[in-house]
Amino acid sequence: MLMEESFVENGFIIDLSNAKDTSQLVHELSSIMEHPDVKGKNLCLKLGSTDLKQSQLLSIKALIETMGASIAFVDTSSEQTEASAVSLGVMISKVKDNENIGSLGISEETTSEEITDKVIEVVADTQMTSPSIETTEGIEDVYDEVSTEELSEIIPSESYNNSDFGALAVHEGLIPTEEASKYIILDTGNVLPEGVEENTIDTKTLPTLYINQTLRSGQTISYEGNILIIGDAHPGSEIIAGGDITVWGILGGIAHAGNCGNITAKVRALKLNAIQLRIAGLYARRNDTLNVPYVQKSNEFTPEEALIEEGKIVIYKKLRRD
Amino acid sequence: MTGRVIVITSGKGGVGKTTTSANIGTALAKSGYKVVLIDTDLGLRNLDLLLGLENRIVYTIVDVIEERCKLRQALVKDKKNPNLSLLAAAQTRDKTAVNADQLKEICDTLKEENDFVLVDCPAGIEQGFQNAVAGASEAIVVTTPEMSAIRDADRIIGLLATKEEITSTKLLLNRVRPNLIKTNEMMSVDDVVGILEIPLVGIIPEDTGIITSTNKGEPIVNDETALAGKAYRNVAERILGEEVPFLNLDEPKGFMAKIKNAFAKLKAKV
Ligand SMILES: Nc1ncnc2c1ncn2[C@@H]1O[C@H](COP(=O)(O)OP(=O)(O)O)[C@@H](O)[C@H]1O
Ligand SMILES: [Mg+2]
Repeated sequence: MLMEESFVENGFIIDLSNAKDTSQLVHELSSIMEHPDVKGKNLCLKLGSTDLKQSQLLSIKALIETMGASIAFVDTSSEQTEASAVSLGVMISKVKDNENIGSLGISEETTSEEITDKVIEVVADTQMTSPSIETTEGIEDVYDEVSTEELSEIIPSESYNNSDFGALAVHEGLIPTEEASKYIILDTGNVLPEGVEENTIDTKTLPTLYINQTLRSGQTISYEGNILIIGDAHPGSEIIAGGDITVWGILGGIAHAGNCGNITAKVRALKLNAIQLRIAGLYARRNDTLNVPYVQKSNEFTPEEALIEEGKIVIYKKLRRD
Repeated sequence: MTGRVIVITSGKGGVGKTTTSANIGTALAKSGYKVVLIDTDLGLRNLDLLLGLENRIVYTIVDVIEERCKLRQALVKDKKNPNLSLLAAAQTRDKTAVNADQLKEICDTLKEENDFVLVDCPAGIEQGFQNAVAGASEAIVVTTPEMSAIRDADRIIGLLATKEEITSTKLLLNRVRPNLIKTNEMMSVDDVVGILEIPLVGIIPEDTGIITSTNKGEPIVNDETALAGKAYRNVAERILGEEVPFLNLDEPKGFMAKIKNAFAKLKAKV
């Protein structure tokens, strides 16, 4: 059952072989475990000759896992500990002297004070040799070359490819949002009910329902023409319109414009944060990376508009004029 | 395949049914089992939020029942784990949109293709409860160590006992705070089990990480470092028939105190 491990990824030796008894061992281990450097590490436990019953090893394992680390293997000279490890499926091995991993531990006659010293030593070590410091410097260098003034001149790079220029021409005064993939089409296919055909009726010719109220979770509004809401539409609400939907506030729920197949219908809001946007038979979900529990109210919103373009739902932002 | 249909219920609201459903479901799926979670809290759905799946829901259980879509179309796959899927509740409808027979039929269909069907029950003992229980053969009753929650759990356990189909009813004690138990400000686990007299399937500590995990749409079982996550993983293992000792929630307290001491020294030296 003895296995030779040459290298443990993300490993860390904890030397408890000098513990006088189980309780000292657990005590030392728990002090070491709280140290942030131990988190996420694969621990090699040097247990020396301490006899550990299965239940004791199990609680040590639980302790280590609770603190966000795991046991790579134990190094023990006790038959009982070895048996406990076998029955718990904990690997047994020997720590090799030149093992390329960090270590913490206690010496022959340790007091808690000395342990603390050791911890500091290790921390200091890692900081000295840490490559992350170099990387940071590298980044700073690059950053220095681009002045902040220049940065403000740059329009998000995505909007420079050809198709986006086309879009800019069509929607004068509107630019695509920086979040190119703000909405992602769901793989539901086209969800138009049977018998409903795609159409391009001019939504300006449709009547408009005007609502001066905030829509709350669970509330639904549906109308065959356009819908204009002065207020917010909270997450959990649903707006369904034959034509356009305009929310003079934060749109957080589901908005379905052109639900009778009108592919020219649009959804507009001061803040477009709909959990789902649906236009005609096309459904899109908000990108997971944009899932925030709340949108803070602000006077600085830039109105946004969603429409179908090349089989996708794209979002445009009104250019701010200041 | 005939999967197990387990209803997660409590009587009282806000004790952790939805949190428990999301976490046990995720843990079982992570262990390789096929799991469907059903949210039966019509009009007050939450399970999709806890799993971060709200933006993927197109059809709900009401659409299935009113035949606007196939059952399979309404199952939303989890982002991370393809073994886990969700049948969402309708947010814009109420409990009367569904009846017990319809729910039983859905559970019966789903258990053919899944190892586990977990039903998240709404609060109360009316229609919503009757619906959620209809297709289940096992129940997990969630309670907190508070007299009002325990009273409601007791009522639910009594109701479950009258249902022939329910062959096992287990207790999950949530939001336990060992330090309050120590000072006699909170009922102990033994006290609660003593009152309710059903077998314990889990003890979940009070954990602020649950709030952040809810906001992120990421069940806490995915967090390897959280104690509540560990406790929920243990519940899943017990459901799978393994004997897992209950976490000793007291233990961290003891050594935390020691560690704080060590840290105080550390700070002093730095
Ligand atoms: N163990 C826990 N520790 C801390 N907060 C919890 C815990 N369990 C549940 N909560 C919180 O309690 C509230 C109610 O939980 P929820 O699962 O929605 O209950 P229910 O579905 O029974 O109404 C939520 O805000 C949740 O974050
Ligand atoms: Mg709930």
